[in-house]
Parts: sequence; C-alpha cells; structure tokens
Amino acid sequence: MISYHPDSRFLTDFAAANLPMSEAVCVSAHLEFCGKCRAHVQQLADIGGHMLARLQPRAVEEDSFERLMSRIGDGDGAQQTADAVLPAAQESLVLAEEVSSRAGLAPTRGVFLPRALRRLSAGGLHNLSWVQLGNALRVAPVRISGDARDTAIYDIKAGGRMPEHEHRGEEITVLLKGSFSDAEGSYSRGDFVVRNAGEAHQPMATQDTDCICLVSLERPVRPRGWFYRLLEPYVQYRLQKTLERNTTF
Amino acid sequence: MTGTDDINSRKNVTGWGTQTVPDPWEASLRKVAQSGDRVEFRKLFDHFAPLIKAFLMKGMSAYADRSMAEEMTQEVMLKVWNKAASFNSGKASVNTWIFTIARNTRIDFIRRNDRAERNIDIEDIWHEADSPEPLVDLQQRRVEAVIRNALSTLPEEQSLVLEKAFIESKSHNEIAEELDLPLGTVKSRIRLALNKLQILIDR
Ligand SMILES: [Zn+2]
Repeated sequence: MISYHPDSRFLTDFAAANLPMSEAVCVSAHLEFCGKCRAHVQQLADIGGHMLARLQPRAVEEDSFERLMSRIGDGDGAQQTADAVLPAAQESLVLAEEVSSRAGLAPTRGVFLPRALRRLSAGGLHNLSWVQLGNALRVAPVRISGDARDTAIYDIKAGGRMPEHEHRGEEITVLLKGSFSDAEGSYSRGDFVVRNAGEAHQPMATQDTDCICLVSLERPVRPRGWFYRLLEPYVQYRLQKTLERNTTF
Repeated sequence: MTGTDDINSRKNVTGWGTQTVPDPWEASLRKVAQSGDRVEFRKLFDHFAPLIKAFLMKGMSAYADRSMAEEMTQEVMLKVWNKAASFNSGKASVNTWIFTIARNTRIDFIRRNDRAERNIDIEDIWHEADSPEPLVDLQQRRVEAVIRNALSTLPEEQSLVLEKAFIESKSHNEIAEELDLPLGTVKSRIRLALNKLQILIDR
C-alpha cells in the first residue's frame, strides 16, 4: 500500500518535463508503482495538450511537408514501432537478478526495477559497483549526467540502521523493495519520501527483509556521530571512485 | 485496435448534461496508422505543425533559433507518423498525445546540447508504457473536457503560471524567480488552478 506520493509541484514539473533528470527518474519510478499518480500526470498532460491547441500558430516553411515526406520515403503504412507492439506491462519491468552477496549482505531477490532504472542495472543490480558503509548499508552511486544531485541505490540489510544524518539539501527516497521506518513513519514499496534540508533522521530497515531504495540527494548528507564525521571524507572519496566506474547510466 | 465507436465516446460533461464531442483528429490518426494515409497525414501536419513550431519557439528560446524550431517540428511530426499505431484514444486526446511527443523531443534536444557525456533515454522516463499497477480511473475523459472548458475561465495570474510551466517549460522554481514571487505562492497558484480544472491532487 503506497502512502507517500509526490506533491503537485513534483507532478506538474514532471508532466511538463521541467524536473531535473534525477528527480524525474525518482518520480518516474514512483509512477510505475502508483496508478493514481500516473492518472494525475495524464490529466496534467491534458493541460499541455489544450494549451498547445490554443497557441498562436507559427507558419512552417513552405516545403516543410514535402521534405518530411521525402524522409519518410515510400514506406508502406505507418511504421509501428517495436515499443508499441511489445506487451507493455511485461516490458516495463525487469526482475533483477539476485544481487551478489560478495559485499557480505544477504542476497536480494525479486527487486522490481522501474523502467527508468533498467539501463543502470543491465543484467541485474549486481553489475553495479557497491560501496560497503558499515555492516548494514551498501550504496551504488549512479551518474546522471548534467545533474547537480547525488543519486544512488541503497541496499539496507534487514533490521539495519543507517547512520543518523541531517540533510543539507532535499532528499528523495523511492522504495523499490522491502520497507523502512524512521521517527516520522514507516514506508513501503513504491513510497516517495521527501526530506528537506535541516531534517535529521535515522532510517531503519524492517527486520524481515532487506530494503532497496533509490535515493537522490540535493547535496551530500552530513552524518551526526563523530565516527561518521571521521568516516565521511573517506566515504566521499570511495563513492567518487565508484561513481567513476558506474558509467552504465 | 480501438473500434470506430471510440470516436463517439469522448464525453463532454457540462453543467447541463452530457454531450458527445468527438475528437476530429482521431480518425485521421487511425487512417495514418492503418494504411499510411498521406492525405490524412497532410491534414494533421497542416493543423499541428504550426502549433508545434509555436510551442518549440516559446519553450526553447534559450536553446534554439527559428530554423532549429523548424527542424524539430519535423522531428515531432516524423514521430507522429511513426508512432501513430501506438496512439490510444482511451488514454489521451490527440492534442495531449502530440503535446507529450513535442515535450519529449524538446527535453531530448536540450539534454543532447547540455554537454552531457552520458544520457538516459528520455523515453525510459517519460514513457507511455503501462505498468502492472493499473491506472486509477479518475474519470479521465470527463476531466479532460472539464480542463478544456475551464482553462479559458481561469484568472489571469493562474493561467499565466500554467502557461509558463507547460508551454515555456519553466519549473516552479524558475517561475518563482522570474515573477519574483515566493515558491509557495507559485505552488499555491498552480494548485488553485488545478483544483478549478478538477485535477485533485490531495497533497
Ligand atoms: Zn502516487
């Protein structure tokens, strides 16, 4: 049951394609879990459709149609694209392969990866470069070009706690598998959770299953404990190194 | 493929009852999809290409000049030809469908020009594919007609922000900056407008 959804700002900016790429990836991931938000995005696109129809037309060049038809050539009938032929529901999900347990975490099966993340994990989440952070958490940073945010897949071991951290910028989390909770509430698959700058929290995965999330951070979070403050420069260095290797996205 | 009765099923609910408003472009698009009908495609082109060009010139002034807008209009209409068979009249009107194609073409172009070394496929993010989670029925058709009718009755300050978002391609933040308004004001103006259009996002 999804309880946390993107608000009207996210959905409107998404429908008009005005969201930065990493945030759009997060909204898109949520939409695959949430039929209600998808319906809203379609309604919002209708605004665009009607506004398009009401624009003052701008004349195209005189030979515009002929040039287009010469590009189309003598092809017979409309060119049905493979995209439209494939059964969409089947095509839109990839059942990720078992995540390798080389990092010492329990293997994770059955992670449904939203379409926006498929390229990232061609062949399964184990193809990503993971950085182990403490016992319970490992992180696979992903590069989204032209984007100022840090985006990553987090894998939190069942019952594991993340270091308590405070956000210097907005953090978006989309749950892909499992569930977690913090002082504010508990979250399950598909939930779209936003934390703003200045909010501190310590998420904890539920006891029975690992938790996998897509996380997009406006700026790096600042862990609170002295241990993590010491760890931070090292972690940043390793994340950066790993990011340079994760170029599939 | 949808049947011909689909044409008659687009309902327009007014305060006085229900009347049928067929989408005049559905039949043309269907003929393009079924038999590559170039006469019908020409009709679509003559109507939509100048609108698409206007859309691109307004939304991309920072990126593209007039001749670029012309080329991209061709790109959009080429996609209309290629994807005609994937148009689903149950999901969207032709206006909306073409808007989404133009929107995706625009953002794809901007990204290609952003010196980005790695690209995500835009169609993987803003895609038409269904997911296993069924679309919640928000009485889509009815709302679509409400949007059409109500758009022209919005107060100026509300239609302005919608135009900046959907046509000029500006985010809430960019609109706030341009109009020198707090972000919260832009957000609430858009929410007020959405409520009038009966797009009820309950958060
Ligand atoms: Zn939702």
